[in-house]
Amino acid sequence: MDNSICQVYEDEIQSLEEEIKLLAEKYEDSQQESTFFSDEEILMSIKSFQRESEGHESLSDLITQLESLETDLSFLKKFTGIQFTSHFKEIVEKTTNRTVRKHRLSGNCYSLSFQLEFQLLEMQNKENVSAVVTDLGIVMESGEDSDMSKFVSSTEEHGNLLRFFRSLSSYAEWYEHRRCTFLHFKGKYPDIVTLPEGLLGDYIVLRNPKHSGLELMIVWKIHIDEEGRTTPVLDLLTKVPEQVLEQKMATIENAPACFRSMLLLFGIEAALENLIKVVGLEK
Amino acid sequence: MEEGKRNSAGVFTHLERLEAQAREIAVKQEKMKQEEEKRARLKARVRELRLQRDKLLAKVRLQKKKLREKRAMSDPAKSGARAVLEWKIKNIKAMLQVSYVTGINGKRTKQGVCFCISTAYESTYLDSYYVHLLVKPEVQIHQHSVPTFIPLEQIAKMYLQTDIGRFLSVLSDHLNAYAGRKYQADQLQEHFSDQIEGTLQRNSLCNLLVFNYKVSSKSKTFPFNARLLYGDLCCSLPTEVNVSCTPDAPASLAEMAAAHSDLFSRVALHKAFRSFSSDEESMDGAP
Repeated sequence: MDNSICQVYEDEIQSLEEEIKLLAEKYEDSQQESTFFSDEEILMSIKSFQRESEGHESLSDLITQLESLETDLSFLKKFTGIQFTSHFKEIVEKTTNRTVRKHRLSGNCYSLSFQLEFQLLEMQNKENVSAVVTDLGIVMESGEDSDMSKFVSSTEEHGNLLRFFRSLSSYAEWYEHRRCTFLHFKGKYPDIVTLPEGLLGDYIVLRNPKHSGLELMIVWKIHIDEEGRTTPVLDLLTKVPEQVLEQKMATIENAPACFRSMLLLFGIEAALENLIKVVGLEK
Repeated sequence: MEEGKRNSAGVFTHLERLEAQAREIAVKQEKMKQEEEKRARLKARVRELRLQRDKLLAKVRLQKKKLREKRAMSDPAKSGARAVLEWKIKNIKAMLQVSYVTGINGKRTKQGVCFCISTAYESTYLDSYYVHLLVKPEVQIHQHSVPTFIPLEQIAKMYLQTDIGRFLSVLSDHLNAYAGRKYQADQLQEHFSDQIEGTLQRNSLCNLLVFNYKVSSKSKTFPFNARLLYGDLCCSLPTEVNVSCTPDAPASLAEMAAAHSDLFSRVALHKAFRSFSSDEESMDGAP
C-alpha cells in the first residue's frame, strides 16, 4: 500500500521531469527560431563588438568562436558543394531516449538551391544514436526538369534524405562542370560559340561567322534517374542549307554518330574543341 | 530447585520474546518513519517540479503570444551585439550538427581534418565511419574506422591526392552500398526467420548471401535455395541471382523459383519476402 503511493509519486516525478525537459527545449528552440538576424546585422554587431571588446577577453573569444564555426561550415562546402543557408528546428516530442524534431533547411549545392522540410526521430541507444527521417518534403528551384522531379518524388516517398544529398551533389557538380565548359569555349571562341539560353542553358550553337546557314547545335543534358544516378548525355543537331545538304548528305548525316564516338574517345572537352575547330575551318 | 530453574528459564524466554517484540516494533517504527520521510520528500519533489513545469508552461505560452503579436522580435539595437553573436553561434552550431544528414560531415583538427561518413538505407540512418586525414606534407590517412574489407587503400590511391571530394564521395558509395546490403540481410533474419531454414550465410562484405527458405504451395512446403552475388560493390542490389528448388518438385515450383530470382534482382531482399507473405495472404483470403 505504502509502496504503491511512493510508486505513484515516483512515476509522476519521472513524467514531470520529462515534461520539463521537453518544455525547456521547446522554449529554447523557439527563442532561437523566433529571432532572425541578417548577415549585415551580424557584421555590424561584430564591428561594434570589436570596438567595445578591446581588452575584454570574453567578448573577443565570442568572435573567434564564431569565425572558427563559419570556417568549419565553408570548409564542408568545399568538399561536398553543399551549403546550408538557413536552418530552423522545432521539438515535437521528447522522452528519455527518443527525440522527434521538425527541421526546415534551405541551402544550395553549387548553383542549385533547395528547401527541405522533414522530421527526424533520433533514438539514443547504449552505443550510438540512430535516426529515422519522416515527412520529407523537397522543393527544388529547377522544378521544371521532369527527371529531377521524378527523382525528388521518389526520394520524398522513401524518406531517403542521404541519397538526395549525395545525388544532388553529383548532379550539381555536372551542372557546374557544364557551365564552366560553356564559359570556357565562349571565351576562347567568341565568334563561333553562342549561348542562346545563357550559361545555365543546356545547349550551345556553333556557327562559322563567314558562312551563314550552317549551324551545329550541341545539346548537353544531365540525366538523373529515380535512384539518383546522374549521367551526362550529349547530342549533336545539325542545321544545314539545302544546297550543301545535297552535296554532303552522307557527311552531315553521319555527324551525330561521329560526335558520339568522339565523345567516347576524347572526352567531352576535347570532342567539343575539335568540333568547334572544324566549324571554324569550314569554307 | 529444579522447578525454580525451569521457572526462571520460562521468565527468561518470556523476557527475550518481549525484547524481540520491542525490537521488532522499534524497527517497524523506524521503517515507517523512514517511509514517511521518503513519502514527504517525494511529495515535496512533485510539488517543486509541478511548480517548475507551470512556470515554464507560462513562459512558453507568453512566448507564443508574443510571436503571434509580432513575428520578428529581432532588433539588433535592442538585443545588443552579444545576443546577436550568441544567436548566430547557436545557429551555425545547429547547422553543423544536422550536417550529418548529407552523408558527409567534417571538422578541422590540429593536424588536418576528420571526416565523418554516415550511411543510410532509405529513411533510416545506420552506422557512421570516420576518416582522419593529415594534410601536411601530403594528404594521407592518419586514422580511420572503415572496416578492413572496404577497399579504402585502393580508393585513396586513386583520388586522395587529386580530389578529396571525389575520394569522400566514392568511399561513401562503397560504405552506403555495404550498409544497404547488410541492412537487407539483417532485416531478413529479423522478420522472416520462420521462413528461413538453417542459417543465412554471408561474407563480411555482405556481397554474397546463401540461404534456404520454405515455399508453401497447395498446403505443402518445399525448400528453395537462394544464392545472391552483389558484383557491383557500390550497389545494394545483386548482379547475379540463383534460386533453385529440388529436382523432384512440380513444374509450377520451378516457374516460381524463376519468378523469385527475377524479383530478388530488382527488389530489396526483405521487401521481396514481404511481398511473398502478402501474396500468400491474398491467396488464402480468396474465395
